[in-house]
Amino acid sequence: MLIEIKNLKKSYSLGENEIPVIHGINLHIEKNEYVAIMGPSGSGKSTLMNILGCLDTASSGHYYLNNIDVNTLDDDALSLTRNREIGFIFQNFNLLPRLNAIQNVELPLVYAGIPGIERREKALKALERVGLSDRLHHKPSELSGGQRQRVAIARALVTNPGILLADEPTGALDSITGVEIMRLFDELHKEGNTIILITHEQEIANYAHRNIYLKDGMIHSDQPNIKRKELS
Amino acid sequence: MQYGENIRLALQGLVDHKFRSFLTMLGIIFGVASVITMLSIGEGAKREAIAKYQDLGVSNIIVRERSLSDEELEEVRAKFSQGLSIQDANVIEEIVPGVERVASQAEKNTEVKFDDKSVKSTVIGITPNFLSLMNYKVQQGYFINEKHYNERLKVCVLGAGVAASFFKGEDPIGKLVKIDDQWLEVIGVLASKSLFTETVGELAARDLNTDVYVPLSLFLNRFTRDNILSSEIQQITVQINHSDKLIEASKIIDEILKRHHFNNDDYSIVIPYELLKQEEKERQIYNFLLGAIAAISLLVGGIGIMNIMLATVMERTREIGIRRSVGARKIDIMSQFVTESVAISITGGLIGVLIGVVLSLIVTLFTDITTFIKPYSVFIAFSFSVIVGVSFGYLPAKNAANLKPVDSIRYE
Repeated sequence: MLIEIKNLKKSYSLGENEIPVIHGINLHIEKNEYVAIMGPSGSGKSTLMNILGCLDTASSGHYYLNNIDVNTLDDDALSLTRNREIGFIFQNFNLLPRLNAIQNVELPLVYAGIPGIERREKALKALERVGLSDRLHHKPSELSGGQRQRVAIARALVTNPGILLADEPTGALDSITGVEIMRLFDELHKEGNTIILITHEQEIANYAHRNIYLKDGMIHSDQPNIKRKELS
Repeated sequence: MQYGENIRLALQGLVDHKFRSFLTMLGIIFGVASVITMLSIGEGAKREAIAKYQDLGVSNIIVRERSLSDEELEEVRAKFSQGLSIQDANVIEEIVPGVERVASQAEKNTEVKFDDKSVKSTVIGITPNFLSLMNYKVQQGYFINEKHYNERLKVCVLGAGVAASFFKGEDPIGKLVKIDDQWLEVIGVLASKSLFTETVGELAARDLNTDVYVPLSLFLNRFTRDNILSSEIQQITVQINHSDKLIEASKIIDEILKRHHFNNDDYSIVIPYELLKQEEKERQIYNFLLGAIAAISLLVGGIGIMNIMLATVMERTREIGIRRSVGARKIDIMSQFVTESVAISITGGLIGVLIGVVLSLIVTLFTDITTFIKPYSVFIAFSFSVIVGVSFGYLPAKNAANLKPVDSIRYE
């Protein structure tokens, strides 16, 4: 099993008050699933994504990733896990503005300690995969929103991670570009990647095979997506 | 993460923000430049002093006739003192322990003539061992020897300045020059010496290159004195075989002379080595002060770096978050920022070294202060700037590394 979450809780302390955000979640995600996590703002979906992505740790409960309890890992081990197992795709792309496309894609490999030539090869392949082999030396500011998101997806893919974790990936894009990105996700899923999509739009969630609704820090519903949109 | 990547990143950052980097470096640049300039001035002064005292001979004790007015001179003679004499020199050589050599010299200020040219000069009557006591070099020909001295030969050795003004391009050896009413044959020329610009005790500042040396025996026999009361010789130079014995020997010399001069205070004793030591001690305090000022300016430079780096970390919170999200460990972030501040301080240090060297040259060119840059001082200043970079870059780097990934990735 890829992801197993048992009675996970998360609360933030604001002054003296503990504000609970996630009230106890149980969840299983298998390899090569395509899951959308939905919910209104304040439902705890961003917090859940941070925990799933090892950017944050739970207050209590267990999160097993590849059968390892993430809650017991120290900072270095969490960094290593993010590097090896997680590929983030953010709403606002989060590319480094001073680096060009290929350097941005190489970044995770730099921290993985992979030597320069091999790094370049892998980054090239990842950029080819997302259809950007003609924009290798462009800075993010010289790329369109859709192209930036493709660079970010290439960066997420380049380490061959267990999970692609996408947080509102089309939120900053127009609808046509958004559809293109969703088509790319569909392809990546068919190639065997596990995709977890965080979104508040039903439209976007419809592309996934399984929809999970969060409400007030708890899972409100979790069912296969019968209305799944097929993309040609 | 490979270290080379960090260095590449840091240098890239410097180039990307040229103006800010330059402003950040400014403190280090001035700090290093001032350290180098100050050390070079200190070293220059030291070398000048050593050269000066080496001319006088660091193993010598110099006994010099005190310059007295005519009335004082009459009074002293009335109290039975004959002034410095060859007899004094002989007694010193016999009695004082540790004496290697003793040389007497008599002096007279007069004009030296060749053809229709004439030069104001100090004519010095010396004994043949003079050259081995003094740090002088013969440029051409040879110096006065035992034979010249014993046979009172009419020969002379010219200072470089005298030779230059008489014989332009001509060979001076064998030429005859006229001093007072005596014709003397030139047998040698001394190498040029630096100006003796400072008065040391009774040793007045003068240009040693205008001196003319003749055998003392000849001097006493053939030259008339300006004042009949003046003493037989003007200086006794005593060479001691060990520098530890200089003070002890000088005390004994003082005792002897006091007795022979009937307690008349008509001579003075100078120990160049002791003066050198004393001057060095004074300079040490001065150097320490200069060093402290330079160190403070480096410190201020370091604080400048820290300031900018702290601001940079704030500004780059998002970048740190992105790096953390793709797998950078705390230590990676930390070393990235430390490398950046070290890159700033090294670059600043290099520019500072350059400016320091140029400043030292300018000081030498436009003032009469001698400077000397020791490689050691460049090394000190440079390594200091690296240390400043590491230590003042540490805190901002630690702040950067300790940012929580989840907060920094969402930082707007």
